[in-house]
Amino acid sequence: MFQARSFTKVQELVYEMKVKQVMTEDVITVRPETPMRQLREIFLRNRISGTPVVEGDFLVGIISLEDFIKWLYDREENSLIESKMTRDVECLFADEPLVHAVSKFEKMGYGRFPVTDRQTGKLVGVITKGDIIAGLLRKLEVEYIEEEIQRYRASHIFEDIVADRTRLVFEYDVLGQNFEQAGECSSRLKRTLKRLGLDPTTTRRVAIASYEAEMNLVVFTRGGRIVARVEPGRISMDVKDSGPGIADIEKALQPGYSTAPQWVRDLGFGAGMGLNNIQRCADEMEIISSPGKGTHLKISILTGDDGEAGKNSREAQSSSSDRQ
Amino acid sequence: MKLARIVEKLSLAVRTGSENLDTEVTAGYSSDLMSDVIAHARAGSLWITLQIHQNIVAVASMNELAGIVLVNGREPEEETIAKAEAEGLPIMVTQLPNFELAGRLYSLGISGVPA
Amino acid sequence: MRLEEVREILDAEVLTGENLLSREVTIGCGADLMSDVLAYGKSGSVLLTGLTNNQVVRTAEMADIVAICFVRGKKPDEKTVNMADSQGLLLLKTALPMFESCGRLYKHGLPGVSECGE
Repeated sequence: MFQARSFTKVQELVYEMKVKQVMTEDVITVRPETPMRQLREIFLRNRISGTPVVEGDFLVGIISLEDFIKWLYDREENSLIESKMTRDVECLFADEPLVHAVSKFEKMGYGRFPVTDRQTGKLVGVITKGDIIAGLLRKLEVEYIEEEIQRYRASHIFEDIVADRTRLVFEYDVLGQNFEQAGECSSRLKRTLKRLGLDPTTTRRVAIASYEAEMNLVVFTRGGRIVARVEPGRISMDVKDSGPGIADIEKALQPGYSTAPQWVRDLGFGAGMGLNNIQRCADEMEIISSPGKGTHLKISILTGDDGEAGKNSREAQSSSSDRQ
Repeated sequence: MKLARIVEKLSLAVRTGSENLDTEVTAGYSSDLMSDVIAHARAGSLWITLQIHQNIVAVASMNELAGIVLVNGREPEEETIAKAEAEGLPIMVTQLPNFELAGRLYSLGISGVPA
Repeated sequence: MRLEEVREILDAEVLTGENLLSREVTIGCGADLMSDVLAYGKSGSVLLTGLTNNQVVRTAEMADIVAICFVRGKKPDEKTVNMADSQGLLLLKTALPMFESCGRLYKHGLPGVSECGE
């Protein structure tokens, strides 16, 4: 399973990474008027088997060990590189995805490709198969380390903090009637939980519940506040507003029941599913509300010791929420 | 394909208009936006939606749609049932989500663009 | 199914996130009500929708959806595209209507939520 996963990861990376991220920038180059006999020394000293030929910054050809051997064989003592080099050079652009380079190596069978800048046409590097493999491994290692750091945060944050009780509290102020910005608080909360390294299923449940609650604040009130508490074993949210309040909570909880205006429905919300969605995501939910006095929504989502969501209790408890 | 055949093939539960299943379904149309359906759904289409409000009956009648299928286990509201019965409009329900219902209808040869 | 295949099957245009086309998508979901997507959508889905406002992108973010395809030729505004871009979300646009889009993807083997084996 691990193999399958890393294989797909590499496949993803060859599409995502660019040629310039893995190429060698410090390129050994030669000039067209360099005598062929100097090549041996250049190849040996730099441990290379081919090199681009440049005039100024521009690529004019490529000369390889094979060309050198052919020259030896032909015994043409005084020839210059320009008479032996390959002029029609296959190149790659620096901004091309790595997958282009991979398929070019496969198709043409060459050991290296010069890399040029798409705009200026200047030579900026050289890429070999070895560069590609080394580049991919470097990237995989970096991502692996980042993942490890994430995991560290998740598993140790509460162990490392020395206190009888530890909780992290995040507060977000929601603007009412502002559909443009709606969801921003939930987006920030979700990013925070991700950074804390909470498991993705729990994070998703908290995010969806928070987003629906935020939409309610935006649509029905002039604003309110979301307070999220992360503590060992649970994440709880308090969503408070001083808006119109809910007249009939039982009715508001019926799927499809909605008092949302048409403009909200046209935007894909207000179909009477919001509170039901929150209930589905939550292990416990309570609504305290009375007309004219605002609404206080309390939500709890349980997390196991290993960060795994309290799924078993979800179905059982979501229907037993307290109502006032 | 006749609506009755689709109902049978996909095990849809008929809630209203069972006397009008002999209609020919010419295409499928998926949408939850009323204005979208009014503007684009052609006569004879089978409409797939999540909307259960009575307005769906008016929209379907106006566009002469073959019927409505409510997905994700949604049930029509009481007023919706009353109106549909009065109009003789077939409303069916299914547990399937829109994506799968559309997919299965498409696999039966119902196209998304009317012939 | 790869997102590149989704793009081909729907003859869609990439609005942002070209570099994500190699990613896999496991489930298809087509809806215009975002609460429904939040309720039934699964992580790893591609969302087909006729809505183009920024809350569609927010919904995708919350529900861990990997790509959105706007149907019937609708196009979101630049702000919405930028929002998707900053979140690493692929946005596609097809001229096909919702029904046809769902139908084609399903026929090519992309399952819906009730068949994804969870």
